[in-house]
Amino acid sequence: MRVVIADDEVLLRDGLDRLLTEAGFDVVGKAGTARDLHREVGLAHPDVAIIDIKMPPTHTDEGLVAAQEIRASHPAVGVLVLSHYLESHYAMRLIQQHPGGAGYLLKERVSGVGVLADALVRVHEGECVIDPTIVSRLLRRAPPASALGQLTDRERQVLALMAEGRSNKAICERFFLGPKTVEGHVRNIFTKLGIGESADDHRRVLAVLSYLRSAPQPQG
Amino acid sequence: MARALWFAVLAAGLAVGVFSLAVARAGAGYSFGGASAGAGAAELGAGYALLGVGLAAWMRPRQARLGAILVAASFAWFLLEWNNPAAGSAVVFTIGLVLYAAAPPLVAHAMLAYPDGRVGWWPGRLGLALGYAGSVLVLGLLAAAAFNPAAQGCAQCPRNLLLAGGSTGTYGSLNRAGIYVGLTWTLLVIVLAAAGLARATPARRRLAAPVAVAGCAYLGLVAADFAHSLHRSFFPDGLDRRLWLGEAAALCVLSLAVVWAWVRARRTRSALAQLVIELAESPPPGGLRDVLAGVLHDPSIQLAYPLADGRLADARYRAVELTGEVTPIVRGGQQVAFLSHRPGLLAEPALAEEVAATARLALDNERLQAEAWSQLEDLRASRARIVQAGDAERRRLVRDLHDGAQQRLVTLALALRLARTRPGAGLDPALAGRIDEAEDELRAALADLRELAQGIFPVILAEEGLSAAVEALAEAAPMEITALPGERLGSPVEAAAYFVVSEAVRRAAPSTLKVSAARRDSRLVVEVEGDNMPAEITDLQDRVGALDGTVTVARGPAGRATIRAEIPCES
Repeated sequence: MRVVIADDEVLLRDGLDRLLTEAGFDVVGKAGTARDLHREVGLAHPDVAIIDIKMPPTHTDEGLVAAQEIRASHPAVGVLVLSHYLESHYAMRLIQQHPGGAGYLLKERVSGVGVLADALVRVHEGECVIDPTIVSRLLRRAPPASALGQLTDRERQVLALMAEGRSNKAICERFFLGPKTVEGHVRNIFTKLGIGESADDHRRVLAVLSYLRSAPQPQG
Repeated sequence: MARALWFAVLAAGLAVGVFSLAVARAGAGYSFGGASAGAGAAELGAGYALLGVGLAAWMRPRQARLGAILVAASFAWFLLEWNNPAAGSAVVFTIGLVLYAAAPPLVAHAMLAYPDGRVGWWPGRLGLALGYAGSVLVLGLLAAAAFNPAAQGCAQCPRNLLLAGGSTGTYGSLNRAGIYVGLTWTLLVIVLAAAGLARATPARRRLAAPVAVAGCAYLGLVAADFAHSLHRSFFPDGLDRRLWLGEAAALCVLSLAVVWAWVRARRTRSALAQLVIELAESPPPGGLRDVLAGVLHDPSIQLAYPLADGRLADARYRAVELTGEVTPIVRGGQQVAFLSHRPGLLAEPALAEEVAATARLALDNERLQAEAWSQLEDLRASRARIVQAGDAERRRLVRDLHDGAQQRLVTLALALRLARTRPGAGLDPALAGRIDEAEDELRAALADLRELAQGIFPVILAEEGLSAAVEALAEAAPMEITALPGERLGSPVEAAAYFVVSEAVRRAAPSTLKVSAARRDSRLVVEVEGDNMPAEITDLQDRVGALDGTVTVARGPAGRATIRAEIPCES
């Protein structure tokens, strides 16, 4: 898989390069600014671009903006944004326009090559990837009396995986369940939460995340 | 003493009037006022009018000199009758000879000196000097010294006590010379009065014009009489009497004009006084301007107070732009306020002083208020600057944490991982275990760091705004959000509102919070309701107060409380 790395920190860029190369990825370009990134994407035709959210000049969300631009200009190129920010707000910003082929991971995931590689593969395959920490944080805050509190443990687990962007197939594999069983769980979850079911996995992530992000209301 | 003198003058004036009329009636053929009852009425009417107005002016501040001149003119008006052959007494007759022509220069003097009794313009003083010289010296004293009644064919005339000799010719020449001088100065003074009116400010012109017109009419008639008397004998004829009646009418009008100005000033003053009494009872800040606008019938009036730093502000410390004519209100040599108004409104210097005097308390009150506001505003601005500087410092700190420590820790984690997964050489399992532990520590450190940065000043607040930042807070600590503003507000406002919520989140019991933040007119109202809310909110009050906002805590039943912050936000 061809990968471009964009990060203004040289040490990190090079370390990531080595790590991914050792893991069998083909690093075809590196960039320190959003402009260089656009050029590298145009020249090297990568499968996925790994982009640090903080880039010059303001070091706030330039990477996020660049990722959205790449999704719009090069639909074949997946984007994986590495972020310091735990807030789901930024993840939502990334996937709102183009939910597929985009991922949002916390920056420290770079040290876990397994997670990183998995995310790269999924983004390349057009899936949506949301950092599990963000999802579990959203899930944790639901009061017991809320609709979320009414879910069974298994349903909550399935919901979390859906929110992370996993497909039904991946959920089956994770829990050693049959496809029918998972579909049943998904249907139950949507019924209990009152969310309209969506055929598209990407749209499903959006719907679930939006639900989790909206302030949980205790049920009367 | 002054009062006794005043009454004495009044009594003397009344007596002189009656005596003069008696003399006139006794020698009706030689008199002006003795010919008929109507003429007598004119005699007394004009003389007493001048006397009354003069005595009234005498009692008024700043018009005592004018009063004295008018009283003198009143006496001189009557003395015209005293050189009558029927005067009966040599003393009376002689006084009449000297002073019979003294009224015109005195009236001219009063007119030019109106309203304060002083003639400031040197041509005016010159004209008056000429008038007194011609009328009292040449026509009066010198002519009297050369006037021999018997030689002039007046056998029944009393004795002239001043007679020093000289021929009939001398008397005739002096008389003619006096008349020419009289013609000269009366016409000169009329021109000067007109020029003075033209030079005056509109308000002063409005005030002085009636007096000047009446005075000039009088002097015109006097001039005509001078011209006429060149060709007649010592005694008055029919035309003289008709001119004299006109003079009497002009003097009555002049007296009325003086009175009318008083009435006008009094109307303004009493309204002022009345309203200041009302103000003193419950003076709303800035109310004085409205009062003055009403009293002076000028809605465009602006009242501004000079502050210590030279700015001008109204009583509520709003910057004031003074347009049009500006009158400084001066007390104790200091300009305590500025009044801008319609051109000419306060051109009478006395009126501005009246305003200052009458509204003294209200003026002082408002000026102090403006000053207090200005100091308060300076203080508030300084607090706002301190808070903003603090926020800027917090943001810099957070940026440094993200760009420095956090970035390095991530790089370090990556380096550890690389060391851990070095290909080829098998890693010592014990060492691998240590590296794993170190990685765990690093992850915990990164999480701590992120939390720390978040608490100092969340990036999301700066970049995405209040609503996103409060929603992010809600991801970590469950709360019910009922309202959030749909737009970005000024960053100090957003920061203040955010810290109200985050402080409540930090200190209140979890899972119980209700948060709303909504724009109401020009204020952002933030309400956080929850259990165990902090009792001490000084830090929040400092932050919100720096933006001129307020924070209050309302305690409800069962330990619930609501922190409510109102923060002004510029629209």
